[in-house]
Amino acid sequence: MDQPRTDPDQELVKRTQAGDAAAFDELVIKYTPRLYGLVYNMTSNHEDTNDLLQDIFAKAYKAIRGFQGKSSFYTWIHSIAVNMTLNFLKKRGRRFQLSLDDVDASIQNDREFMEATATSSPVREADLSELQRRLNEAMMKLSEDHRAVVTMFHIQGMPHAEISKILRVSEGTVRSRLFYANRQLQNYLDEFRKNPVS
Amino acid sequence: MDEFDDREIARLLRLKRYEQPPPGYFENFLHEFHRRQRDELLRQPIWRMCLERAHAFMLGLDVRSLTSYPAAVAAVLVCAAVISLKIYQQPETARVALQSPPAISTPVSAGEEWNLASPPVAPPILRMQPVRSFHESAQTHRAAPPRYVLDSVPVSYEPTFRF
Repeated sequence: MDQPRTDPDQELVKRTQAGDAAAFDELVIKYTPRLYGLVYNMTSNHEDTNDLLQDIFAKAYKAIRGFQGKSSFYTWIHSIAVNMTLNFLKKRGRRFQLSLDDVDASIQNDREFMEATATSSPVREADLSELQRRLNEAMMKLSEDHRAVVTMFHIQGMPHAEISKILRVSEGTVRSRLFYANRQLQNYLDEFRKNPVS
Repeated sequence: MDEFDDREIARLLRLKRYEQPPPGYFENFLHEFHRRQRDELLRQPIWRMCLERAHAFMLGLDVRSLTSYPAAVAAVLVCAAVISLKIYQQPETARVALQSPPAISTPVSAGEEWNLASPPVAPPILRMQPVRSFHESAQTHRAAPPRYVLDSVPVSYEPTFRF
């Protein structure tokens, strides 16, 4: 199942290693949106995400000469991003301000979102918005490690095997963390459903 | 549906993919990245820049082939130290200086008396006999700075004539 594949970024990586800064710029452009989603859903803060992303790419640029291609660049840069974000969260502790309450305007054009809200009354729409807010709160109640797994699996759509490589844990650990995180999220959202006004 | 199941949770979480940064963020991100890189370079002390460049240079080389270099350098240094110690301890070749004129001895037969009427003396034979051999000297004075003894002996120390 896990067949060796050629890294699509191999050429850009080699050029960067040879000193071509423009090649690294291409990698930055390619991976910024994806890494933004990963870091943002773990930190829940735009400013922190921006600073962390800058640091992540700076670190990757310094370390890329030592990158030997044992994993794909995708896995490598995601490992850097997850580890730096986890370290940041451990340092930050609980002193954060939730800034992911508002669903961005671009979500309004999403088919899935439109389906979810098309048949809804204004009351139900308000419920959905509240549900999103509650979901974000529930996410922040998870431990950093569980949040990382939920973010990568549910939000980024990564397979278990890829997550296990990035986090350097077994696939079994990934699955158990995911199971535990889902239970926690369900419990929290069930409370909201039973007591919608809080 | 009273309870959230895994599918519903997953569906709700997928919506979070659409949470995006402010418009223009990704366009400006690269410029911001370049600006921060320049700022960081300017803040760094020169020694650190040199160190980083040296580190980058070393990484660019095949590090595995370089792992034997420290051992080789250490071996060369040890050899050099041993050789220099040996050279220091080895005594220099003795240069013997003659401080007194060589003793001139004449072969004299036991029974003959010397007088003015005697025939002329045979040409003198130069004899230079060290009192102690070089090896004896070296053994005695190994630790001390090199000392030398005269290979020649004053005439008065020569064996006396027997008449």
